[in-house]
Amino acid sequence: MLTVQDLHKSYQVGKTTYEVLKGISLQVKRGEFVAVMGPSGSGKTTLLNCISCYIPVNSGSILLGDTELAKLDEDSLAAVRNQKLGFVFQDFLLLDGLTVRQNILLPAIIGSNVSATTEDRADQLCEIFGISAIEHKYPAEISGGEKQRTAVARALINQPLLILADEPTGNLDSKSSRAVIRSFEQAKTSLDATIFMVTHDSFAASFCDKVIILQDGMVRHTLERGMMDREAFQDQLLDIIRELGKE
Amino acid sequence: MKQFSEVYDLLRRKNRKQYTLLAGCLFFSVLLITAYVCMMRSPTILNVLPEGGDSRKQVMMIFILAVIGCGVFTIYAAGLFFRQKSRETGVFLALGTRRSQLRKELMRELTFLSVSSCAAGAILGAPLAWCLWQLFRICVVDTEEMPLSFNPQAYLFALAFSVFVIAILFVLGSRSIKRTNIIEIVQQSHKSEPIRNVPHWFGPVGILLLIVGAFFGYSMPSFFVLVLHWYAPDALSAIFYLPALVGIYMLLLHTVVNGWNRKKHRYKDLIATSMMKFQGRQTVNNMLVMALLIAGAYFGSFYTPMLGTGAMMAYDARPVDYAYHYRADQQLPTEKEVKTLAKEYNVTITSWAEIPMARLAVDGDAHVEKEGAMGVTWENQYMETLCSNLFLSESAYNTLTGEQVDLKPGQIAGIMDSTGDGQGVFDGSATLVTNYVTGEQYPVTTVDPLKNDILFGRFVVDDADYDKMTADLSDDWKEYMVFFNVENCEETYNFAKALFNCIVDASGPEVEVYDGWDPVERDIALETEGSYFLDSYKVSYDQRNSSEFRLYWQYMPQFRVLDKADFVKTTAVFLILFIFIAIICFAAVFVIAFTRCMTIALTNKQVYDDMRKLGASRAYLYASVRRQVSRVFFVPALTGTGLIYAFYAMIMYFNDNRFTAQELAGMAVCLILVVAVSALLYAVYRFTLRRVCRMLEI
Repeated sequence: MLTVQDLHKSYQVGKTTYEVLKGISLQVKRGEFVAVMGPSGSGKTTLLNCISCYIPVNSGSILLGDTELAKLDEDSLAAVRNQKLGFVFQDFLLLDGLTVRQNILLPAIIGSNVSATTEDRADQLCEIFGISAIEHKYPAEISGGEKQRTAVARALINQPLLILADEPTGNLDSKSSRAVIRSFEQAKTSLDATIFMVTHDSFAASFCDKVIILQDGMVRHTLERGMMDREAFQDQLLDIIRELGKE
Repeated sequence: MKQFSEVYDLLRRKNRKQYTLLAGCLFFSVLLITAYVCMMRSPTILNVLPEGGDSRKQVMMIFILAVIGCGVFTIYAAGLFFRQKSRETGVFLALGTRRSQLRKELMRELTFLSVSSCAAGAILGAPLAWCLWQLFRICVVDTEEMPLSFNPQAYLFALAFSVFVIAILFVLGSRSIKRTNIIEIVQQSHKSEPIRNVPHWFGPVGILLLIVGAFFGYSMPSFFVLVLHWYAPDALSAIFYLPALVGIYMLLLHTVVNGWNRKKHRYKDLIATSMMKFQGRQTVNNMLVMALLIAGAYFGSFYTPMLGTGAMMAYDARPVDYAYHYRADQQLPTEKEVKTLAKEYNVTITSWAEIPMARLAVDGDAHVEKEGAMGVTWENQYMETLCSNLFLSESAYNTLTGEQVDLKPGQIAGIMDSTGDGQGVFDGSATLVTNYVTGEQYPVTTVDPLKNDILFGRFVVDDADYDKMTADLSDDWKEYMVFFNVENCEETYNFAKALFNCIVDASGPEVEVYDGWDPVERDIALETEGSYFLDSYKVSYDQRNSSEFRLYWQYMPQFRVLDKADFVKTTAVFLILFIFIAIICFAAVFVIAFTRCMTIALTNKQVYDDMRKLGASRAYLYASVRRQVSRVFFVPALTGTGLIYAFYAMIMYFNDNRFTAQELAGMAVCLILVVAVSALLYAVYRFTLRRVCRMLEI
């Protein structure tokens, strides 16, 4: 589904070059729920922004299905973002002037593929994520958790190959966080969605099938949850993070 | 809702306020510029402002300032609009909208918004100018030359400015879409514009540059002309003002970033100062434009009080109530007829003096201009007959003035104004006098000048010399000067007006000439160039009440009561034009200050919310807002006002290396005007402060 090979990314600040990603390689399989964790400055968000093609990479390859993202032109990238990727941002990025339902339909409208089927799909998503009652409200009238569930529904409206989520629970209280993570699980189980989430929240990450831990721009650990109990997996994550903190 | 354009339309309806603010700013800037241009290019104004004259240059200079001011607040409003829109753009791009798709939608709505706002501004500009003008005519003064007519050419300027504004909008819009980094666009609305550390020497050096720039900018054109004998291009002379501009910028930068008394109130001003500091560049740019506009507006505003106060004092200082001169070949009312007319108006003439004068040619240095690689240069070339002047005998002079001047044969004395100044047009010296009719020449020696405002620019010679020099002159080279006083001069307006009309009615077309018209200069010009420029400039007896006639007719009588009462009418077009310009500039200043403060409020809303959460009281928050708003208003106001006041004082002083009583009185009246405008500025400041507080919920 997603294959990242030897990804390098650096920033230039004045005369100093900061190498943020130092040869990252990873793989995400179809239907997998993957989290990327790591301390501040480890390169999590930069990695996500590179995969989203929001920022250009210095070298390496990002393969989504059989499409090499790093080599696409502007228009093809826009098509990939619209049709093959779904996005969930930390601060939701809903448009305040559109209702919840209109926000959900926005990627379909942008792709000019609004049809009765899409409308039905929007209804279905609202139902799955428990936001049917608020679908005619505006973002300013709903809670943070509801906003993020709306964002998840929006990310799924075009049935993308991959959902990219940047700290989706970062701005939420624990109850809302739980609801959002549940919505990802539902997306995975009900809609067979593939999710790639950047988070620093071990609780959120403990729901994932796989957790990739970054440090100093490199992959330090890749943990598979397998059949492990969620709480035990969270404990394992916490232990590793604690270890990293000691280094 | 199935189309992307429908989403765009919906968002536009939801964000109506942003669109209204941008449309309002576009409309306002085009409205102001169109009104200004309509006024500036109006035949009514052009007829009064001499071509190539200082007044026209001043009007153009302030117009350029107004264009810069309006351009800046348009760019600023557009920048604010795209910043507010950037989040929306970022979300669209993040969700896979093609840039071309976004650009198409944005350009569609920008086209509608900009064209309709600019068209409305351009269409209403002329009616605004007309309404303001009519208001002046009703409330201030109305003369026969006041009806305002428009030149269609003005609409070309308005169109050009509209195209400029629309182009700015499209460039900024296109640039906002072009941004390649979506992350930056998403975060753009949170981006501040820090300025680098500003060294503390910026303040004093700024002041120094300001003084140096103002001094050299003012004095270099004279240096080029008088010392280098070179008419330098205006652009080159303008360059010498650049240090002043840099100085103002450094001064404002230092004031905003470092402050002048920061150490004392370091913590008291912490919040307001840091907020101002981190919105640095835009704040300082705005302040610079505001300071320049305020300076321009005052420059226009000072014209009226300086001219008015000086003129009133000069009228009062005249040594005689009524004075006029006429050519000997004109059939003007005799002493008896004038006295009869006075009787009709119950006016008592208490003294009467009428003396002969003669027009004789004098020698001097002619400025001979040459076109070369450097442009136009000039050199002095001595000519035995350079121009003509009016001559009086010493006894005639003594009769008129009551003085006891006794010149020796062969001596001449020039008559300066009452302060002893030649006003830059008369040096009061000659070495050779020529009777232009007979060709007889008389070498003379110049002695100390005399002083008299009414006889300014004439020469006095010994009685016997006068008889010799004027022998055989025909009547068109001879003149008479009449001085008389009346009882209760202030109550003789109707008589003055009637006598003025009698004089004009009795004057023939041969004396319907401009003030500077000179028969000797004319002959020289016809011989060397084939034409004389003052032959094409005509005053008209039919427009005897126009400012052009009253100011420029060579034989215009000097009646104290008439001149004082009609001063406003005589200079009405000048006065109202400059008042109009001041209104336009101040309006632009108020809009820039208001929009800047509202933006500061918008940008800092989160900071104020956070401060509230940290326990800041309402009084503390209010004080912090007040400090920022007051700085936006008062720093440029103080800079612009101080700058132009000092500049005006410098011009006055360097005119003749002293301040005359008229100049000091004019400066005092200007100060009163500054106080009045400052009160208005304060009212706008209070209004803005209230609006900002309301926005921040303080």
